Amino acid sequence: MSTIPNSIFTPATAARFDKLATIYPVKRSALVPMLLYAQDDLGYVSDAAISEIAKRLDLLELDVRNVLSYYSMLRTAPVGKYNVQVCTNISCMLRGGFELLDHCKKTLHIGHKETTADGMFSLEEVECIGACCWAPAVQVNYDFHEDLTPAKMDAVLADYREGRGKDVK
Amino acid sequence: MPDVNFIVDGKKLTAPAGTLLIDACKSAGIEIPAFCYYPGLSLQAACRMCVVRIEKAPKLGTACTTTVAEGMNVTTESPEIAQARKATLQLLLGNHPLDCPVCDAGGECELQDMTFKYGAADSFYAEPKNHREEQKWSPVVYFDRPRCILCYRCVRMCGEGMDIFALGVQNRGSSSIIAPNVAPSESPDHMAALDCEQCGMCIDACPVGALTSGTYRYKTRPWEMNHVATVCTHCGDGCKTTLGVRSVNEGSEIVRGDNRDKSGMNGDFLCNKGRYAFDFANNIERLSSPLVRQSDGKLKPVSWEEALTFAGKKLRELRDAKGANSIGVIGSNRTTNEESYLLQKFARTVIGTNNIDHHRTADFVTLATALQGTTTADGKPRFASQRCVEKSPAILLIGGDPTNEAPLTAWNIRTNVRLNKARLYVANHQDIKLKRQAKAFAPVAEFGYAAFIDSLASANDFSTAVKAEEKLVVVVGNELRGGELAKLIAALPHAKFALLADYANSRGASDMGVLPDVLPGYQSLKGSTLASEYGAAGQSQVADAPGLDLLGMFDAASAGHLSALYVVGSNPIKRFGIDASALKNTFVIVQDMFLTETAVLADVVFPAANLYEKAGSVTNSYGDLQLVAKAADKAGVRSDFELIVRLADKFGHDVKTLVPFGKGLRAAGMSGDMGQTRGAQSGEADRHSVWLTANNLEPKLSPFDPFAILDEIQRVVPGYDKLLRLQLLSGNDQHIAPAASGLVQIQTGRKDLVLPAADTLFTSGSLTRFSPMLQDVQRHQASEHTDHLASAD
Amino acid sequence: MGYFGLRSAVKISQRASYTGDHMSIIKNVTAIAKGMGITLREGFQPTEVENYPDGKGPLRGARLEQRFRGKHELQRDENGLEKCVACFLCAAACPSNCIYIEAAENTETVRISSAERYAKVYNIDYNRCIFCGYCVEACPTDAITHGHGFELASLNATSMVMRKEDLLVSIKTGLPDANKVHAEAVS
Repeated sequence: MSTIPNSIFTPATAARFDKLATIYPVKRSALVPMLLYAQDDLGYVSDAAISEIAKRLDLLELDVRNVLSYYSMLRTAPVGKYNVQVCTNISCMLRGGFELLDHCKKTLHIGHKETTADGMFSLEEVECIGACCWAPAVQVNYDFHEDLTPAKMDAVLADYREGRGKDVK
Repeated sequence: MPDVNFIVDGKKLTAPAGTLLIDACKSAGIEIPAFCYYPGLSLQAACRMCVVRIEKAPKLGTACTTTVAEGMNVTTESPEIAQARKATLQLLLGNHPLDCPVCDAGGECELQDMTFKYGAADSFYAEPKNHREEQKWSPVVYFDRPRCILCYRCVRMCGEGMDIFALGVQNRGSSSIIAPNVAPSESPDHMAALDCEQCGMCIDACPVGALTSGTYRYKTRPWEMNHVATVCTHCGDGCKTTLGVRSVNEGSEIVRGDNRDKSGMNGDFLCNKGRYAFDFANNIERLSSPLVRQSDGKLKPVSWEEALTFAGKKLRELRDAKGANSIGVIGSNRTTNEESYLLQKFARTVIGTNNIDHHRTADFVTLATALQGTTTADGKPRFASQRCVEKSPAILLIGGDPTNEAPLTAWNIRTNVRLNKARLYVANHQDIKLKRQAKAFAPVAEFGYAAFIDSLASANDFSTAVKAEEKLVVVVGNELRGGELAKLIAALPHAKFALLADYANSRGASDMGVLPDVLPGYQSLKGSTLASEYGAAGQSQVADAPGLDLLGMFDAASAGHLSALYVVGSNPIKRFGIDASALKNTFVIVQDMFLTETAVLADVVFPAANLYEKAGSVTNSYGDLQLVAKAADKAGVRSDFELIVRLADKFGHDVKTLVPFGKGLRAAGMSGDMGQTRGAQSGEADRHSVWLTANNLEPKLSPFDPFAILDEIQRVVPGYDKLLRLQLLSGNDQHIAPAASGLVQIQTGRKDLVLPAADTLFTSGSLTRFSPMLQDVQRHQASEHTDHLASAD
Repeated sequence: MGYFGLRSAVKISQRASYTGDHMSIIKNVTAIAKGMGITLREGFQPTEVENYPDGKGPLRGARLEQRFRGKHELQRDENGLEKCVACFLCAAACPSNCIYIEAAENTETVRISSAERYAKVYNIDYNRCIFCGYCVEACPTDAITHGHGFELASLNATSMVMRKEDLLVSIKTGLPDANKVHAEAVS
């Protein structure tokens, strides 16, 4: 049973939220997980999602926005089907992260935080994604690709374009 | 808390354990700079300006979060500390624009002061500054993002202080910004906006010019204004406000209101109306010349002499021809005590009638009657002061919605609950916002307060908890009056009581006897010394029988029995929904700022000064007496005081019996010589005037001096006899408990004439529509279709 | 001067005679002759005073040093907008309290100065101004300067209060046309 009538989330997510709100000693602790699941559910955190989460956790919408804006992996606008996140932090930078980023920009014809016209790819330059041992690394949605070169990157992008990506939803 | 001893800059200091170092130093006269620290709000330690060297600590520590400890040895100024503060300032100035010449805070900016002190004018940060356009969050709050130094004072003030939580911090690191609660995506014009009480406390708290006031911005500079401390005219809470006044062609204009000197009962608090709604005074519709109705039926501007002579003579004719009791007088709840007293004295001794009343907004007569002669358990009077609400360990709020109707009361209750852990009990027919602070809430049916009072006698959780409180202050909304109020007072025999009324001087009007059935101080019409004094002063005896009340006067007018009506600063036609035709055979004199619904019916209209344009005293709804100082000035208007005196003069009355002024009129029993008796003795007179000036006293040599009437009030009005003149004149508030004894029994069966004004945060009776700012704010609030504030539960 | 010169010359010659230097008398006489020569020569030079007010040019013969502090000028920036942002610092610095300003806010449609605020009213009371130049020093935007206007005398004291229109410099020629039209429309 959902505590919120007419939830904008899928029944599974809504049920998950019902539980999340009860398992923390302080209700608002569920905020960050909820935002992440909401983003997975909707592709981004919409105004409606903010409003529903605020209701679920007895918070003001402003509180939700304050937390939401803090985390760079939470977004408030839709992205492409595959969100290509190129790391340019120190390890990746030394191993060619910027070349990789420039290559992606060139092949996809988009810049940082932009989406291709067909809605397939979005590109994002991100800080460390914790894959320093296999730098340079790229994260596509929740999927990691390591030890990349521009040529390998082309293959990765081609796989996704043709629907062979691991993380197809 | 036991005291601890510690050393600051070589000085041995003592403070209670638990005191913050920054506060302890401040009390000892050692100032530690801080941007984020704000007394009364939670600690932030965000700005690093208050760093001090504490002996044996490895690094510099923040004085705003360190509590004093025994044997602590602190250095607050040293080259090392100056260097640390300078570095902090350089970082703050990294993106702070250098637009001080146009910034509203220039001249009273804490960042500016600190930069001056620590000389951080040069910066290592040569990168271009990140400019953002100014944002208009509401008609009264503007945000200039690059100026913000992220001290979070506004966020805490809005959340903790006002209990609104309309401001938050978004993004992170160097891109952090203060954000309002309406996101651009949700706002009709796609601009971030504020949906809140529009109190402007965030602007006051802001140490720089990041938040600026919509009414004051870009108008003038702080040092160009005169700052006059006076009392707000809007609700009955009696907030002190410091008005910034500058000279203009037509006199002097108010450009700003705040209370940053934290004087008065409100500390730094002011609500939307107190802070911004002074603009009615500059409204172009303001009357600036007397109007007299001509034979063609139109009101035409005439000279003062002509208007006063006409009104005075006509009033005299009607009095002589139709009798004093055919004339009615209606007073105001926004005029000063002196004016209210003078008006009822005018009615009773000049005209000779008890037909005097005003728009009552709370039943003070019942309060005074029910509380007379009773005391609390420790023998104190049972009239609560505004200060009790701020300090008392327990408060019971019955009816009313202070958040909207009496914002200072709400602020004091919240502060008391937050800082002193006071217990608040709320009984109300609505889910008022203060329910959030309440320890217990008792829902009451609408019009069901009588049943609630009965339930106090039975043993339920609420009544048991309330009755267990030893020092209880009961704040009563204007839903309760007459018999119900008396019953409530009887049900809680040891509690202190206060009534919430509307407008600056509702209580004063009642205390000053602007009532048909009692004299000033609720004294009897029959037999009291004041009654005989009035009888001797007046040309006719003061009638023993009560006069007509406000509605009675209009009934008499409809029936053709009212020959004249004198209305001072009131708009009964609109307020009581009276049909305009009622006054068609009555000669009407109106004193007001605007052509109100009542004024358009008048035969003579005098343009009157408002409370910001005159001197005197007012009593707030708790009975706290405060001084009103003349701040603004408007060409062409006169104070009500002067108008009443001049009308009496033209009526043919000896003005000296109305206002005791000039030589040889020392009030009996007054020990202080106010200078009237000195005459022109050179030297002696000068020395005396020096003394008077030094003590903020003025010689009363003019019939228009309200202090002459204050003398009389002090002499004849019970309760006010105890007022301390120097306290009053220094701008302090004093609590007046009216008529400690000897109060007459008010006759029963009296019509209930209390009509609550039902003002909200953004309305103020007839003044609302003459204040462009209030109109703007109302439009802004209406444009926010969803509610962004937390609900009461 | 001649008398004192001679007497001192005699004294010096006396002293000189003690030391036995007889050439000093000739030296002294030469010095007197030289001095008197300059005096005589200057006496025959043409008169050199300002031919004001009968001279040529707009100043009618008056010659002013560059740093002369005359009537104030309110300057405009390169776009023809007023430089004054109504910060009131000149009024605060003024020791004779002769500057009166009323500020107002620029709007999208009416833009008078380049910052948020401009001076709606800017009066200088030349009955009181002492031409000390403090206002010029205080000005953070170099908006107020001392011009060379000095013909301020008047028989009517009320005409000594100059308004902004009297103080503002004219819009420079050579502005881009659009700016000039706008600036003229605004002023």
